[in-house]
Amino acid sequence: MTDQHEARIQAYASALFEIAQAEGSLPVVEDELFKVARTLEANDALREGLTDQRLPVEVRQGVVEDLLGPKASPSTTSLVSFVVGAGRARDLPAIIDRLVAKAAESRSESVALVTSASPLDAETQKRLADALSTRFGHRVSVKVNVDSSILGGLVTQVGDTVIDGSVRSRLEQLRTTF
Amino acid sequence: MYAAMLLAQTTKNPIVPEVNELFYSLVAFVVLVVLFLKFAYPAVKKGMDDRTQRIRNNLDEAEKAKNEASSVLTEYQHQLQDAKGETNRIIEEARQQADKVRKDLTAQAQKEVDEMKAKAAEDIKAAQARATADLQASIGDLVIQLSEKVIERNLDRDTNIALVNRYIDQVATP
Repeated sequence: MTDQHEARIQAYASALFEIAQAEGSLPVVEDELFKVARTLEANDALREGLTDQRLPVEVRQGVVEDLLGPKASPSTTSLVSFVVGAGRARDLPAIIDRLVAKAAESRSESVALVTSASPLDAETQKRLADALSTRFGHRVSVKVNVDSSILGGLVTQVGDTVIDGSVRSRLEQLRTTF
Repeated sequence: MYAAMLLAQTTKNPIVPEVNELFYSLVAFVVLVVLFLKFAYPAVKKGMDDRTQRIRNNLDEAEKAKNEASSVLTEYQHQLQDAKGETNRIIEEARQQADKVRKDLTAQAQKEVDEMKAKAAEDIKAAQARATADLQASIGDLVIQLSEKVIERNLDRDTNIALVNRYIDQVATP
């Protein structure tokens, strides 16, 4: 990733952050955008569709509105639609990750990207956030991504630190012992 | 007796020449002897001396020819001896050369055989190692696949919650 590309992603993230904060919908938008980013990462067909330059912008934005309209807040839908309309759908997950980091930073927190085999209830997320805060010595907010391929347990990434407690990694360790 | 002598003196002996005849004969003989010594003897002596010299020369030449023949024979024998020695030396050299070539070829063949054996042993060892590694990998994959299936079927919600709770506890106390 070039410096210019990184700067552009940061600029988009800052713009989205400012808009969401100005609208007062940052906590909700942050969570929803995080889910959108993980969905885009997991769904090749959707990502290719949204980045297909041969499709008119209106069609791609229509897809976003059809998918997010019923589920997400209007702010989230319009922000995603804006990025797709600007032809930056490929960078959307990276932009959203920077936005989430920026939001956490504004709360003097860091973000823990948590991968779980099944959804985590609010109480478990809070306990995990507290445990991570204790470990890292500052507030850590948790963003959960559900990925059944890890089979069980959790994988947490805070910055460059990865704490892998998934069943998948245990199996991989077992494989290397053979 | 005296009578006999008178008879003898009076009777002429036919065998005894006359005194004058003896004289002339003697003179003639002396003349012949002088003539012989004067003319014939030097010629005869010269002829004899020439013949003696010729025979001596012939003998000398024969001796010389014999010596030359003997020298040639000796030289020839030396050459023959040298040729025999050279022949023996060449044969010995060829035998040694052939022996060396045979030994070299044998050593080379032995070396190649040893190398082939070593390479074959290494190949076998590598193939065994590969087969073992492949087998282990296959077993590993099989075990992992089976484990995944077992876990997918048996990892219920409660078990996963327990795993998550244990993870949270471990995160809090690194």
